[in-house]
Amino acid sequence: MTLAPQRNSGPDAGTSAPDDPTVQPPAMASRPDGPGAQPWVMASAVAVAVAGAALGFNGVLRGWAWYSPVFTTVLAVAFSMATLRALRAPRWIVAAGGLASLILALTFTFFRKYSIAGFIPSSDTMNYLEKFLRRASETVLAESTPVAPNAGIVMLICAVLGLLVILVDALAFPLGLPATSGLGILAILVVPAMVKPQSVGVLGFVGAAVGYLMILGCSHWFTPAARTRADTARDPGQIRRGTVTAALALTLTLLLQTVIPGFDQGTFPQGSRLNPFGSATGLNPMISLGNSLRSPTGEGRITFATNAPAAPYLRSVTVDSFDGDSWAPDDRESSRRQGTGRIDAGLDSTVTEVRVITAVNTGQFTSPYLPAPYAPESVSGLTGRWSWDPATLSIKGVDTNSRDQQYLVTSVAPQLTAGLLREASRPVSGIPEQFLRQPANVPEIVRTTADAVTAGATTPYTRAMAIQNYLRSAAFTYSLQSPVQGGYDGNGLSVLADFLTQKSGYCIHFASAMAVMARLQGIPSRIAVGYAPGRSTGATVSVAGQGALPEFEVDSRDAHAWPELYFPGLGWVPFEPTPSRGIVPAYATEAAAPSGASTNERTDALTPGDGSSRAPVPTFAPVPLPGAGTTTAADPRAAQALYGVGAVLLLVLLVASPRLARARVRRRRLSMSDRGNGGGPAAPAWAELRDLATDYGVAPVASETPRHFSRRLRVSGALGEPSGESFGKPSGADNPGQRAAAALTEDFEREQYGRPNPTAWTAGSGTAGVGTAGVGTAGSAGDIEPADPSDSAAARIALVQASLRANATLGVRLRAEWLPPSVLSGWRRSLPAPRQVLSRTAQRTRRGATEAWGLIRNTVRRVRRG
Amino acid sequence: MDYHRTSIDDVAPGGESFPGRPAVDSNAAGHRSSPHSPAAMDAAAFHAASTRILTAINTVIDGKAEAAQLALTVLLAQGHLLLEDVPGVGKTLLAKTLARSIDCSVSRIQFTPDLLPSDVTGVSIYNQATRSFEFRHGAVFANIVIGDEINRASAKTQSALLECMEEHQVTVDGTSYRLDEPFMVVATQNPIEMEGTYPLPEAQRDRFMARISMGYPDRESEMEMLETHQASSPLARVSAVVTAAEVAAMIATVQQVYVSRSIKDYTVAVGRATRESKLLRLGASPRSMLQLLRAAKATAALEGRDFVLPDDVVSVAEAVLAHRIILDRKAASAGETPQSVIRAIIAKIPVTPDVAASPNGAGRPARNKASALAPAPAPQLPNPH
Repeated sequence: MTLAPQRNSGPDAGTSAPDDPTVQPPAMASRPDGPGAQPWVMASAVAVAVAGAALGFNGVLRGWAWYSPVFTTVLAVAFSMATLRALRAPRWIVAAGGLASLILALTFTFFRKYSIAGFIPSSDTMNYLEKFLRRASETVLAESTPVAPNAGIVMLICAVLGLLVILVDALAFPLGLPATSGLGILAILVVPAMVKPQSVGVLGFVGAAVGYLMILGCSHWFTPAARTRADTARDPGQIRRGTVTAALALTLTLLLQTVIPGFDQGTFPQGSRLNPFGSATGLNPMISLGNSLRSPTGEGRITFATNAPAAPYLRSVTVDSFDGDSWAPDDRESSRRQGTGRIDAGLDSTVTEVRVITAVNTGQFTSPYLPAPYAPESVSGLTGRWSWDPATLSIKGVDTNSRDQQYLVTSVAPQLTAGLLREASRPVSGIPEQFLRQPANVPEIVRTTADAVTAGATTPYTRAMAIQNYLRSAAFTYSLQSPVQGGYDGNGLSVLADFLTQKSGYCIHFASAMAVMARLQGIPSRIAVGYAPGRSTGATVSVAGQGALPEFEVDSRDAHAWPELYFPGLGWVPFEPTPSRGIVPAYATEAAAPSGASTNERTDALTPGDGSSRAPVPTFAPVPLPGAGTTTAADPRAAQALYGVGAVLLLVLLVASPRLARARVRRRRLSMSDRGNGGGPAAPAWAELRDLATDYGVAPVASETPRHFSRRLRVSGALGEPSGESFGKPSGADNPGQRAAAALTEDFEREQYGRPNPTAWTAGSGTAGVGTAGVGTAGSAGDIEPADPSDSAAARIALVQASLRANATLGVRLRAEWLPPSVLSGWRRSLPAPRQVLSRTAQRTRRGATEAWGLIRNTVRRVRRG
Repeated sequence: MDYHRTSIDDVAPGGESFPGRPAVDSNAAGHRSSPHSPAAMDAAAFHAASTRILTAINTVIDGKAEAAQLALTVLLAQGHLLLEDVPGVGKTLLAKTLARSIDCSVSRIQFTPDLLPSDVTGVSIYNQATRSFEFRHGAVFANIVIGDEINRASAKTQSALLECMEEHQVTVDGTSYRLDEPFMVVATQNPIEMEGTYPLPEAQRDRFMARISMGYPDRESEMEMLETHQASSPLARVSAVVTAAEVAAMIATVQQVYVSRSIKDYTVAVGRATRESKLLRLGASPRSMLQLLRAAKATAALEGRDFVLPDDVVSVAEAVLAHRIILDRKAASAGETPQSVIRAIIAKIPVTPDVAASPNGAGRPARNKASALAPAPAPQLPNPH
């Protein structure tokens, strides 16, 4: 008895394989002794699932640049595990190997410079890792989707996805719980579902679903027999039951959603913020506003007490650059000044100033920016280091954030009146250029609207008021929903155009519309982001030196944006173009203003029943703005004409290109053939003859001999009526085209099959053909005088072509000239080349899978029978 | 003598002798003048000679020009011919006519079940006068040997003939006797379903270069035959039109026909395809590839060319290959015949792969140049006069 080591494949092979090889059942003999394609197919399935689900992160992260590190990490982990598995490493080594490769891949991708040899982590790496993690946590805390893909957040995502690959893989294969592996994939999908307004998105869902199905399929094909014994039995009802279950589940889901309240506003349909670090609510600008406002529960509650007569706006940050796809605050780190003891607004106005003291408690609110009433003069009581921007007076943490801060803000603002503002019509001077710069690519509708609205207004103030009044008019509706449904949630100039068309949106749209329009009218402007005046809590807070002050509170639902316009001598003046939000300042209230001051009605549009009654219902159709539609047509028309010409040119080029390609090929061949006065190679001319025949519908067959093809061409009638009695034999009765084709064939045959340096044997007695057999006899070589210039390959080809043309129908002729089949078929052949490779691979995979499946089934049967 | 235990070589010398058995009609007396290294002919002479032979055959057998050409092809390619058909369609007549039209030694062996190997090869007999053994030539010692109804003889006797066919020599009692050149066996056989036949095994069928089925003549030919052949045998009118030396020279000419590399590629592709075909249990042997190429060379020469075209290969492929391959049982029951399978295989193989691969014909000249630089595989023809 030999003691050959028993090679077991699969984790449970030990139980089914007897130790004694002599009593080894035949089933084992036929079992492949390597794991085969299994680990690779499995790894692909897991990689597809995780990388596919990660597609959903588009929108959480901006752009697609982040995807390539994510993809490589996932691949690296999945395939290193597959390699280990293919080498039959134990389970724990496979997992450890996956982890190790994850670490190496991350190091290589993110810390190449700070590691040993580019991929081995060192202590230096750890320092940077910490930095990256801090960056990532800041991003998560403070920024809103879509966040710029900075290295920190991308590294975090890569790491998490890498770990998920290991988890999904472990669940699916060694642990044999493939269905459970969906949890890992779901964990990826939750992030975009929570964070993005559009939820997961088609890409992410499809990617995840495909990967998950692949995992299920692979585990079905490859799992060792014992485990699938129960459910591999043929069951005719399986599909029917599956269909019924799926249909029931789907119906139930669709029904429940309509019955249970809150599904149209909750976390999933519109999205919300992801708060893995607690209930922090960052307030970076812009998009997060919409999400914050839509949040069903207020988060990031801030309480403040103030000695101002009315609750002030709390301002965090401003947005002043209106270029680009997505607006974000410009931090201007270089010009920021440290310390908050004295904040200088740079304002030396002669107007009476009002000093307000506010005590703020930020609680759980987490943001790099500090909310403060405008214009802060000094902030005291802060922990950590803070800096402020002289241009915008935004206060930002240097190494800290707003969480758990209690501080006292002294703010100073001029006592403004409508009269003062009306007089402030001096030319603007002394403010940074960025507040004046008109954004590029302003949508036409914004410009025309601004012009139309401010027509007749002379001073900056009247223009500002006109814009504000226009936006507050009944034509506009405050709505948190329509931007989501209309797909223009977010910010940027294109969003603005949508807003002005739909006339429905929320504060960010109103504020940015006013800011941009003001700038177009020459008024410096910026968008302030912060909180609208909140609600009184009813409590009082005693502030040192001020006594008991009334306490107010705001939370994420009070998040607000408003425009600030600059007036010479008066500084930055806030306006309130958003209907039903905030408080319109007294100086911005005119008799003409339709609604006057309004309280901060938070509930409108959040509960649909309420919103419809509270939202201003337009009683008349909005007046179309003059010129809105006509002026836009002028320029685009020229562009359209240009495009049209371009398209026609392109079309012509496209139509001509097969013809051009054909002509090019012919020229090249003939020049090759006629090199050295007719003594050139015959093969190019022959190829040309074949292609010509193809073009005119007599396509050569690969298994056809040249002679047979030539004969077929000559008797097909494409070259003219074949002379009857000399079937296949060139004779005197043949027309020149037929003779030329025969001669070309002859030359090619002699070159291809004849002696390299022919002797006189054939040439001298070419007519010696014994014409008794069915084999086509040679055209006589003696017929063709090689020295005759008219017998050059080009001349013969021309003869053949003329003959073909003369005998073809119009349709065939047109096709041969403009869409020659010989060129098109070449293109067609090269077109599916990559697809063929893919399909071949798929076929091979399928075949392997089928074989493996048959093997497993046989084993199962044998085990059952035995 | 136990045919099942002993082979031809084991026959004891001087045991039994069968001189002049009636079945063996040997007129192999003279005409053994074939030179050992005959000079090749020029094209015109070759053409004239081949035309004479074919004309002679065609005057005797009506409407069988194709079979005649193929028979001549096999002769010139130094192969052996197997004529297989039902009795009475002119197999033997074709063989005899071919033999008669050449001025060379011809012997005819009528194979019967009791024919012995020594009848074919010859036997050593003891000469009382010289007190020594002397070798008595068997019927195989002739330029053209007609083996009539070869499948009626026992396997042992068949083998004796087939060894001679392959090696062109006879070995009796340890002495080898060279056979005359040209040497060609034209065997006829009835289809194996007929009574009292021993079918040729595959290995022995493989020795024949080509198998021809005569087929029934068409209506006109049959009428013509009835008209002309009533009075006298047409065979009597046939006289030798070429000499054995001429035939040898023609064979030498055929040997020098040039075979280009792409023809060899093509031939090999055909052979491989028969071995890979799912319809076949046994594909064509390498020997058959050699014979296919030789037959193609002869065809090319008969066509008046000194190089082989794929058409030459195609035209002889069916005759050369069909009797060597064995159909798969499924294919046979599906109504396929060896001929149809060969045709199907030929119809699938690209003739010149490089033309098919590059429709532009680009790159072809370079390849030709490369092959031109390679040493020419075939010897150059000597200068014709």
